[in-house]
Amino acid sequence: MQDEQDLAQRAQRGDKEAFAQLYETHFDKIYRYVILRVGKRAEAEDMTQQVFVKAYESISSFRWKGIPFSAWLFRIARNLVIDYIRKEKKRPTVSFEESLVASDSNPGLEVEQKLDIEQVVSATRRLTEAQREVISLRFAGGLSVAEVAGVMGKTAGAVKALQHSAIVALRKVLLMGEDSEKG
Amino acid sequence: MKRDKEFSNILDECLERLLVRGETVEQCLEKYPEHAAELEPLLKTAAAASKALAIQPAPEFKARARYELRSVLEKAKLEKRVPFLIWQPRWAMAMVIFLAVVVAGGGTVVAADDSMPGSPLYPVKLATEQVRVTLTPSDIGKAELYAALADRRVAEIAYLVNKGRLQRVELAAQRLKKHLAKMNSLHLVAMAEKKAAGEPARAPVLREEAEADSEMTGRHTHAQAKRQARFRVVLGHYAVNHPAKLRALLERAPESAKPALQRAIAVSVASYEQALEDLD
Repeated sequence: MQDEQDLAQRAQRGDKEAFAQLYETHFDKIYRYVILRVGKRAEAEDMTQQVFVKAYESISSFRWKGIPFSAWLFRIARNLVIDYIRKEKKRPTVSFEESLVASDSNPGLEVEQKLDIEQVVSATRRLTEAQREVISLRFAGGLSVAEVAGVMGKTAGAVKALQHSAIVALRKVLLMGEDSEKG
Repeated sequence: MKRDKEFSNILDECLERLLVRGETVEQCLEKYPEHAAELEPLLKTAAAASKALAIQPAPEFKARARYELRSVLEKAKLEKRVPFLIWQPRWAMAMVIFLAVVVAGGGTVVAADDSMPGSPLYPVKLATEQVRVTLTPSDIGKAELYAALADRRVAEIAYLVNKGRLQRVELAAQRLKKHLAKMNSLHLVAMAEKKAAGEPARAPVLREEAEADSEMTGRHTHAQAKRQARFRVVLGHYAVNHPAKLRALLERAPESAKPALQRAIAVSVASYEQALEDLD
């Protein structure tokens, strides 16, 4: 954490190398978070790049104050995702179920033994927006509960409760999917 | 309510053990035997979801993204150093426009600019492009122009696929390949080296002349560096967007157009990568 704070402060002073290190550290996590939220590879790639360009442009406005740099970065990503989802809702699109779920699913296996990214993306579409956000930040972004709370502007307790309900809902959706495949 | 809160805390602690510390589900359950029945399915679902989400961005995308970010950083650095715009001669472009207007007639050339393969004005568009290339004096100017022409060809490929005029896709893809090959043959490595070394100055006779010379050289080097940095940004942008556009087309294109699109994707990825490497 101290290293990250040091890197962020150096990046604020215009140290390109420091910013590049922050970029390397967080790039994959941001990409995983974004792809789970938007479900489309090309859009996720564009948006991941935008996150870092925006971060670089506005790094002078970053203040530590107990919120780690990663949480600040995820907040930028979250805002971009929210804008994207808002725009997407206005135009008719093919549902995720139709476009992403693998067609070679094997119904004989247990939920926990066989999941792929498309199934998880598809399943999270059935969760509430807040549940989906928690799953994306925790499991795809790899943030701690405290960091998720910082990104979402909620208490740690509220995030834990949301996480609980999100996993229960996710399991139900995945089991429903399996049942319908078996039936 | 209190029980829910307690269980949410236990679940979170188990998730930390499972996902962060690398413990197994069984190890977590041993710690909370009274909640094992409820915890087990949730932990297994979380572990499977987390495993499924442990995807890595494509290496090709990561490489391109790095290039683009580096371009942004470079551009920001140059803008900080040179706070005012340095005027650059635009005579070459003015001459092209003048000649095009005289030779072909302004209206025709303007209309041809928006024409697409198959239209009667499309040959005029290609001829005008060739004139522009011929009249562009510098290598960097030519490289910029070839990149812009590549952008046009990608737009034309998209147009042809969307309109179902698939027999012309192959030809447009070949033109794209030609522009990118020409761009990469323009010694971009040499340009970058020249930029790094600065322009050689002749021996000055007087002190005032030396100062003036140095100022002129400095301005010229700044202008060159800025132009190359701008070109780099454009290339970085195309390196991401052209393959992405072509891939999106590939997903919905009929089988007959796919081989040409696949070749166009491969060529654009490799060419931009090479060009960006050379400029570094």
